[in-house]
This record gives sequence, structure tokens and C-alpha cells, in this order.
Amino acid sequence: MTVLFISLVVLAAVGFYWYGRRRHHQEPGVASFQRHIDALSSERRRESFERVRPPMHDDDYDDETGS
Amino acid sequence: MARDLAIDLGTANTLVYMKGKGIVLNEPSVIALNRQTGEVLATGREAWQMIGRTPGYIVAVRPLRGGAITDFEITERMIRLLLQRVGVSRFTRPKVVICVPSAITEVERRAVTDAARRAGAADAQLIEQPMAAAIGADLPIDEPVGNMVIDIGGGTSETAVISLGGIVALEAVRVGSFDIDAAIQAYVRREHGIAIGERTAEEVKVAIGSASPTEDESQAEVRGRDLMTGLPKTVVLTPEEVRFAIDDVVSSITASVVRCLAKAPPELAQDFLSRGMYLVGGGGLLRGLAQRIEKETNVPVRMSNMPLEAVVMGAGHCIEHYDALKGMFMGARR
Ligand SMILES: Nc1ncnc2c1ncn2[C@@H]1O[C@H](COP(=O)(O)OP(=O)(O)OP(=O)(O)O)[C@@H](O)[C@H]1O
Ligand SMILES: [Mg+2]
Repeated sequence: MTVLFISLVVLAAVGFYWYGRRRHHQEPGVASFQRHIDALSSERRRESFERVRPPMHDDDYDDETGS
Repeated sequence: MARDLAIDLGTANTLVYMKGKGIVLNEPSVIALNRQTGEVLATGREAWQMIGRTPGYIVAVRPLRGGAITDFEITERMIRLLLQRVGVSRFTRPKVVICVPSAITEVERRAVTDAARRAGAADAQLIEQPMAAAIGADLPIDEPVGNMVIDIGGGTSETAVISLGGIVALEAVRVGSFDIDAAIQAYVRREHGIAIGERTAEEVKVAIGSASPTEDESQAEVRGRDLMTGLPKTVVLTPEEVRFAIDDVVSSITASVVRCLAKAPPELAQDFLSRGMYLVGGGGLLRGLAQRIEKETNVPVRMSNMPLEAVVMGAGHCIEHYDALKGMFMGARR
């Protein structure tokens, strides 16, 4: 009887854990979509375009991917 | 460490953007080869000057003409030379984003990415020209609004509706500004009996060509070879006859814009009326073209500032934010 009870509890715990993880797993989609849209924003683009405009100061600072 | 690159491999012009630096190369997409040995003799501006002026053993060609990769081997050599010229070697392996016509086939796609990898790229990704153009023309494509961009190049005309960072509707035709040159050549041959070269036809187009009547129109003198006598001859072309000569080509370009509008969902279509459509690409600089499209669609047309660089600037932005924008590359979406 106790064995059955314990296995039920363990099963339920595993179930909850798995469900939680699945929900957690869907979030990267939201995060990467946000990142994608944010990288396309006007401000981000202006940063890129201004950085490379010819008569700017020396172009030695870069490598800031924003990723 | 090599700096990552964005390449607009246009049918008329090739531009290269280097990460953190901006545009480092901008020249005609022309290659001159020795017909017998297959050796590359010149590329870019130097090769462009040879078009129509070479002795029999040299051939100067635009390998991407027509928006299709007709000669894989030459295209590969062009990409290799391009990467070499901007400092890519076997030891510096940059990531490369290449803009291609959106109508490109799977085989052509693979040919371009393989060529870039073989030429030293660590990773090669492709992006559609109109998408890159919209990014480069600074349209608010991160918002849920209808952004319409028309990119008229040498060999292709592509219209796209973009919203929330993705393409909603797309219409691409393999007709472009080169076809206008060809129409002028054919007209002068037929009506005036003289043969002119493609560079002369292009000069006529830029000097007096128009898609609809404009103010301050003028005539142009054109020199060619008389088809009857074989001797050099000069004729005068009027703006009206040039307009007539190129009308079929202009009509097929405007028709493709109309088809794209028809494909757009109604919610976005109403945005165009207030926001207008944006014209990029060298072909879009034809006089009276914006007015002509406006007249046929009833939608305002705006010229983007930097029509010739918008595509490579957009792809350049993708290379600056490579990881965040991976989803924009061809093959990443479905
Ligand atoms: N002022 C002008 N008036 C008319 N046509 C022009 C003008 N300036 C450039 N062009 C034409 O624009 C074309 C080049 O445009 P662009 O550089 O955008 O083409 P591309 O990007 O190489 O081609 P594609 O996008 O089809 O691959 C050439 O055919 C050129 O004759
Ligand atoms: Mg182009």
C-alpha cells in the first residue's frame, strides 16, 4: 500500500517536473522573437548605420554584436 | 580574425559591407576572361570598361545577368575573387551573409553558399533582397504594420510586403533595368537602322529615359553603326520615342507591383495608403517611374535615401546582429 502511494507521489512529482520543463521550454521562442524584433528596431539600426558612416571618428571600436 | 561580411551580389553591381566598418567595395558585377585559357583577366570597373570593346580572345560578362546564376563556375570564381580582395584567406574564416534574388532556385542557393564556403567563409547565409532592402531603407519592419518595398535592380524587380520582421507577400520578376537597355537597343536598331552597344543604351536611359512624361525633357544624340553601310552614324532620339521603346518593360515591372499589392492581406493593405511604398535599387531611379507606379496603384511611392546601398546596408545590419537575426536567413523560416 505504502509502496503504491509513494510511487504515485513520485509519478506525480515527475509529471509536474516534466510539465514545468515543457512550459519553460516554450519560453525561448518568446525570448528569441523579442530579440529578433528588438534587433530590427529603428534604434538598433541607427546604431549600425551611424557606426559605419564614413566621416565618423576612427572606426576601431566595434565587435559589439548586441547578441 | 577576419571581420564578417555582407555581400549584395547584384546582377549589375556588387557591394560588400564589412562588420564594424561599412561598405568596403562597390563595383560593377562584371568579369573579363580569356576565352581560350579561362583565366580571369579583370573584374569590377576594369572589366566593365571592356564590355563590347574586347578582342576575340577576351570575353567580358555579367555572370548573374537575368537574376539567375547561369554559370556556376564563373559565379564561384567571382565570389572567390571578391572575398580575396577584401582580405579573406584560408586562415581568416568570416561569416558571410549574401543577398540574392528571392526567386532563386534551391540549386542556385546551394551553389552560392557552397561557393562562399569553398572561398573561405566559415558560414554562408542568404537573405532575400527585398528583406535586406527594407532593413537598409529603415522601414519600421519591427512593427505590426504593412511595409512595402520595391527593389528594381539590373536583372530583377522584387516587391515585398513586410510586417513584424517577416515577409508577408512577395512578387519577383526577372525583369529589370537591363531589359530597358535592351529595349532601347532593339528600338534604335529597328527604327533608325543603327546598332548600339549595351553601355550606350544605358547612357541613353540614364540621360533621357522616362516611364512617364516629366518636366525639362531633352533629346539625345546617339552614335552607333549603320546596319546598311556599316559606317558610324549619329541619330537623335526624343524622350517620347524612348518612353515608347521601353513601355513594355516598364509595364511588366508595374504589373508585378500590382500583383504584390493584391496578395497582401487587407489589414496591411490599408497601411500602404497612409505609409506609401518605398522604391529602392538603381532601376527605381528611372525618371517618372515613381509617378507611373503611383498612378497605376493609387498608392503613394517614396524614394528611399540611398537606393543603391539599401540592400547591402540591410544585410550589413544582419551581420552586426548575426545571432539575433539568424531567423531572417533563407532556409531558417518555413
Ligand atoms: N539614374 C538612373 N536612371 C535609370 N536607371 C539607372 C540610374 N542609375 C542606375 N540605373 C540602373 O540601375 C541598374 C543597377 O541597379 P542596382 O545596382 O540596384 O542593380 P543590382 O542590385 O545589381 O541588380 P539586382 O538587384 O537585379 O540583382 C542598372 O541597370 C543601371 O543602369
Ligand atoms: Mg539589387
